[in-house]
Amino acid sequence: MNSIPIRHKWEPYLWLLPSLLLMSIFVVFPIGIVFKLSMSDISKAGIVGSWNSFANFRAVFRDPAFGTVMMNTAVWVVSVVGLSTLLGFITAMVLNQKFLGRKVARSIVVFPWATSLVIQASVWNYIIKGEYGNLNNVLLNLGILRGAVNWRATYQIEFAWECGVGIFVTIPFVAFTVLAGLQSIDEAYYEAATVDGAGFWKKLRHVTIPLVRPSLTVCTVLNIIYVFNSFPIIYTITKGAPANKTDTMVTFLYMRAFYDNQKGAATAMSVIGFAILCVCAGAYMVISMRKEER
Amino acid sequence: MPMTPDAVRRANLRALFAALLAAALFVAALSLPIYEFSATVFSKKSGNTFVGDEKYQAARAEVEAAAAERAAQTGAAPEIIETVTERTNSKGEKTSMVAFEVRETMRRTGWQFIASGLGCGRVLLAALICVLAALALLGAGLAGAMDVDWPALPAAKRVPRRLAGALGLAALGLIPVFMMCCNLDFSRQIKLAADGFPRPGVEALLEKLDGFLYGGTAGGDVLKLMGGVGYRAAWPLWALMALLAAFVFSAIIAADGRPGRALQRGALYAFIIALCALILYPYYVMFITGFRSNAETTDMYFQYLLPTKWVWSNLSDIINRGVPRYLLNSLLLSTGATIIALACGIPAAYAMARMRFRGKKAFLGFVIMSQMFSPVVLLVGISRLMNALHLNDSVLGLMLINAAFNQAFAIWLLRGTFVSISSEMEQAAHIDGCNTVTAMLRVLLPMAAPGIVTTLIFVFINAWNEYTISTVLISTAANKPITVGITQFSSFNMIEWQYLFAAALVATVPVVILFMCIEKHLAAGLTAGGVKG
Repeated sequence: MNSIPIRHKWEPYLWLLPSLLLMSIFVVFPIGIVFKLSMSDISKAGIVGSWNSFANFRAVFRDPAFGTVMMNTAVWVVSVVGLSTLLGFITAMVLNQKFLGRKVARSIVVFPWATSLVIQASVWNYIIKGEYGNLNNVLLNLGILRGAVNWRATYQIEFAWECGVGIFVTIPFVAFTVLAGLQSIDEAYYEAATVDGAGFWKKLRHVTIPLVRPSLTVCTVLNIIYVFNSFPIIYTITKGAPANKTDTMVTFLYMRAFYDNQKGAATAMSVIGFAILCVCAGAYMVISMRKEER
Repeated sequence: MPMTPDAVRRANLRALFAALLAAALFVAALSLPIYEFSATVFSKKSGNTFVGDEKYQAARAEVEAAAAERAAQTGAAPEIIETVTERTNSKGEKTSMVAFEVRETMRRTGWQFIASGLGCGRVLLAALICVLAALALLGAGLAGAMDVDWPALPAAKRVPRRLAGALGLAALGLIPVFMMCCNLDFSRQIKLAADGFPRPGVEALLEKLDGFLYGGTAGGDVLKLMGGVGYRAAWPLWALMALLAAFVFSAIIAADGRPGRALQRGALYAFIIALCALILYPYYVMFITGFRSNAETTDMYFQYLLPTKWVWSNLSDIINRGVPRYLLNSLLLSTGATIIALACGIPAAYAMARMRFRGKKAFLGFVIMSQMFSPVVLLVGISRLMNALHLNDSVLGLMLINAAFNQAFAIWLLRGTFVSISSEMEQAAHIDGCNTVTAMLRVLLPMAAPGIVTTLIFVFINAWNEYTISTVLISTAANKPITVGITQFSSFNMIEWQYLFAAALVATVPVVILFMCIEKHLAAGLTAGGVKG
């Protein structure tokens, strides 16, 4: 029993009060505002009118760019979460081995996590920029390329770069959560598996993955949320250009809200976004918990 | 599992044979062309002419003769490039200026590099010496101990084998160094000399380059000719690297173990080196670009891995452009957000970890749900709320928002830490007459210090790196945090890359160092909070 005696019935709530107050004002209240705005007429000057029977939502679904944006969002979330989980898992497995310079390697892997996304995105923006970008510079200098290459010839390639940067900055988070899971696995399991004649893949499937699944679930759910809501990478590298072809939902709604001054459509999209996130993250949690119970 | 002497002998023989083969092939591959140069061997300008007139014909004939002579000398097929520039002369006539160039693709083998006496050639020679020395050491390590199993090997035999592997690895590492030295010799030094900042010894370099590329025929024109040289690595260079990798691999087998293990270790190190290189690459870019001159950052013919001249004045320029103010705002904002987040988070986490009450699960659900609503999606709501509270465009507003959106993480990390500490001491304190608050402050918090520091730094860094809310809420320059402040260097029509990255560097370095400090505890804290009941 790790709990302590409570003097009054209401004492625990008093302890929660500051936190509850802070979050209510600055998180719950804006949520309420967003939900209310999404259902209301909003004038160009920002004055909120009456309930408009989902006109904002209808406007969003009629918007021809919305389909592209949703498609991009799906590609963005699936590729970034999927690949960063895979690569982060491999990185964690490697960092869990004993090797010369492990401490240094772990410290280096943490770098992208500690750097502001705007800064990371600006650097990558420069790396692949035009003919003078640093990637061309380095490859030309080492004599690997003969002429400058246009690294962002089409918007599809640009979007692929953005996904790449997204994966790059997400790997450390996955790697460190999985690493924590790996470190807590008792060596005895592996010894037993070795005695039973299990090879690398069998150990991975029957020992490692089941035991790190709790950490993996937590980190994947958080990742889905973070990646879905990730803004600076796309905003810095392409700003959604050309014509919303590289926008994800978050950058699209930012543009709608603060450039085109369509607060109604923007808040409607926020609500759609919440709904999608709740469904995705919830479904993932339920599925993986069920697997855990089995 | 011990192996029979016979099996050991066979394995060692195989390793020795593989090492010998790799080294022999390496030496052989040095006589293949490892670099291709596209160089101007002859150039002539013919001014005040028309394409096709007599003067042009004469010049053309001269160039063709030079090309033919070159072809007869070297057996290569030179290419004639002519560039025509039209202009109007002083009499108002339209004339042309025709520039002829004879370009030739020249291939140079490894041995030619070594013989040239250039800096890059010396590096290649060093790699060759490393391989030969490694081979000798391998032989010494194997001699007389061919059938001794690895665990029973005496140090006198084990050490040379290990050293052989290390030397092979050094040779492998010297190949990229060689490529960088080529850059230095063929491009950077030339450009510096042409721009009027000759490095000491550039005269000797030019003489050697003349001998290496032009067979000593260029004389005083080397500098001009070298300006147009392009170079590219050819496949034998990659073959050299592959052979060295094979050599290292066989040396590892001979040193301590079975092929499977050697392969595994090799793959492990290769992965780690590649990963670290990839991660450090953007920081390298930030560093060198931050100290370049503006012209160099966007020069597409810019051909060096380092700035021509380190422009340290970029730092003083960004100081004059308001960066200290932004840094101060960021510091204020992050410190404030951290203090608020912890002041609210510690009591909540304490209640969650130590008390039993109704609605605990509901609160936990609330905390997790709040993670779902990122500030970006709520921006419209947040900006309206801040307007109503008269907190928009102020650092205080940002503090509160950051603290609120970091509550979930703070409570999560702290609760994990508190749960992992036994409450016995606090219970004892209660019996001694302490109340709950003093028990927490005096007993629990000192024990939980590492976890609290982790949380503190984590919230601090999140607030420091936050960009999206600040960019919407802050419009006065004097209130901008650094992440928003640096975007002034990248406006739509002009990006001042050097200032952008100098400022980014200043904003990044302290945070990266802070993060490295908590790296050890962070991952553990993250999962402890999520997994434990």
